Amino acid sequence: MNIDEIFDFTSFTIDREPHIVLKPEVCSGCDVRGCVNCCPARCYTWSEAEQKMTFVHDGCLECGTCYVVCQRNAFSRWQYPRGGFGVAYRMT
Amino acid sequence: MSKQFQAIVVGAGPAGSSAALAMARAGLDVALVERGTFPGEKNMFGGLLHRMTSIEEIFPDFWTKAPLERHIAKKGTTFMTGDASFHVQHETVNFDHTPYNGYTVFRPRFDRWLAEEAVKAGATLINRSTVEDVILKDGRVTGVTIAGRKGELKAPVVIAADGVLSFTALKAGLRQPKFSADQMAVGVKALFDMSREMIDDRFGLVRDQGFANEYVGCTGGVRGGGFLYTNYDTVSVGIVVHISSLRNSGKTPYDLLNAFLEQPQFAKLLSGGRLAEYSAHVIPEGGYTMIPELFGNGILVAGDAAALCNATGVNLEGINLASHSGILAAKTVIEAHERNDFSSKTLKRYKERLDLSWVMKDLKGFKNAPKMLHIDRIYNEYPELVCSMMEHIYRIDGTPKTSIPKLIMREVQQKIGLKNAVSDLMTAWRAL
Repeated sequence: MNIDEIFDFTSFTIDREPHIVLKPEVCSGCDVRGCVNCCPARCYTWSEAEQKMTFVHDGCLECGTCYVVCQRNAFSRWQYPRGGFGVAYRMT
Repeated sequence: MSKQFQAIVVGAGPAGSSAALAMARAGLDVALVERGTFPGEKNMFGGLLHRMTSIEEIFPDFWTKAPLERHIAKKGTTFMTGDASFHVQHETVNFDHTPYNGYTVFRPRFDRWLAEEAVKAGATLINRSTVEDVILKDGRVTGVTIAGRKGELKAPVVIAADGVLSFTALKAGLRQPKFSADQMAVGVKALFDMSREMIDDRFGLVRDQGFANEYVGCTGGVRGGGFLYTNYDTVSVGIVVHISSLRNSGKTPYDLLNAFLEQPQFAKLLSGGRLAEYSAHVIPEGGYTMIPELFGNGILVAGDAAALCNATGVNLEGINLASHSGILAAKTVIEAHERNDFSSKTLKRYKERLDLSWVMKDLKGFKNAPKMLHIDRIYNEYPELVCSMMEHIYRIDGTPKTSIPKLIMREVQQKIGLKNAVSDLMTAWRAL
C-alpha cells in the first residue's frame, strides 16, 4: 500500500485557528523530537536548515500522542478544537 | 447567561452517556456535553466492544437494540515475524448465543445510540461544545464553561468523562499535569471495505459471527501488537504501540502499520479490500498505578479520564469499564442529591463502589501486567522463537530430526537466554 494515501481517508472540518500552538524556542532546543515520528497524522515537521518545528493542525486526529510524548511542555496552547471543528470519523 | 442543571457530564462517550442515562432515568436534570457535532464523531478504538453487563441491566435485550456489527464467536492470537507466523485460535458455541461475549462496533454509531438513549430518558445533549474550564467556587466544582461561547453551565456536580487526556480532571486538580509516555499507548487503525461474503468465507464465519485476532511480533520490535476485527462488510486492522518505545525507535506508527499490512501472511487476508478510513487515539495502559484522584468536591472522574483501561496483553478492555464506572458515578450523584451534599465526603462513595466492583478488582488483579508488557523480548525474540521452532518441527529435509525438548532448549538458549526466559516466565506468571 502507498502509505501516503492513508491520510486522505479521514474527514475534517478545519478551523481557522490552530488548537495546538508551539513555543518555538522550546522546540529549537529539543533533541528528542518524539512528536515528529510519533504523530500518527504527520502533523509535525522539523526543519534542520531553519532549526524550526512546524505543526500543521489541518490533519490532526486529536489523538493526544504529542501531548503525551513531549516532555518539555512545548505547547503554549494544547486544546481540543472548538465544538464542531476538527476530525470527523464516519465509521472507524 | 448561565443555565442550571442537577448534573453535568463532560463527554458523550461510553462513560458519559452511561452516567447521563442512569441519572436521567432516576429523574435528574442532566446536561451531556459533547464537543463533536454528534456523539461518537471524535471517538475511535480498535473495534472490539466486550460484553456490557452494566448496560444489559438497563437493556436486557441490548444486542437487539444497539447498533452492533458482528458478535465475537472466534478469537485468535498470532505470533508473527517478517516472513512467518504461528496461529492459535479458540472458538466455542458458548460465545455464539446471547448474551454474547463481545461485538465489533463503529463508535460514531454506537456512541451516538447510547447518547440518544440518555436523551430519550430525559438528558439534555449539548453537541458542538468543547468544555474550556471548570467553575470553582470555595474549592468546589459548580459548573463548566464552553470554548468560544458566552455563559456557563452550572450544576452542583460534574462528571468528567472527557477521555484519556481529561482536561476537566486536570483543571479540577484531580490528575497530574504530566503523563508518563511509559504508561500510554497509541493505536492507529485502517478500515477496509470488503464484501460480507468475502469476510464470511475468508475467516470461516456464518450468520453474524465475528472474528477477533491479536498479533504479536508485527510491530518492528516496538512494544505493542496488532489486531484484526471483522465487521459486517469491513475489516478493522491496526496496531497499538507504547509511546515511549515508539519514540525511542524513531519509527512512525503509519510505517509500522504499513509493514504489518504487507507481511505476506497478513496481506492475503486483506487482498481485495479497499481502504475506507484511517484513525488514531491514545490509550491509557498504565493500569491500576496510573489511576488519578477519582473524586473531589463537586466532581467525579469516569472512563478513560480515570485511566480505567485493562490491558493485560490477553484482553484489552476499556469501554465496558468506562460504562460501568459511569453507572457507579451516576448512582453516587443520585445519592448526593438525596442527601443534598456534593462534597467529597459523599462523592467518595463512588470510589468505594468502584473498589468493590469488578472494575477495580480486575485492575488490581492485573496491576503487574503493564510490567510484563514492558518485556521487549515479547515483541521480537519470542515470536521469532515460536516461528523458528515450528519451522524446525515441520521441516523435512533429509537430515535427522532433533528431539523436541532438545530443540526447545537450543532455541531458547540461542534466541532468549535461559536466565532471561526464566525471569520472563516469572514476570508473566505474576502478571496474569
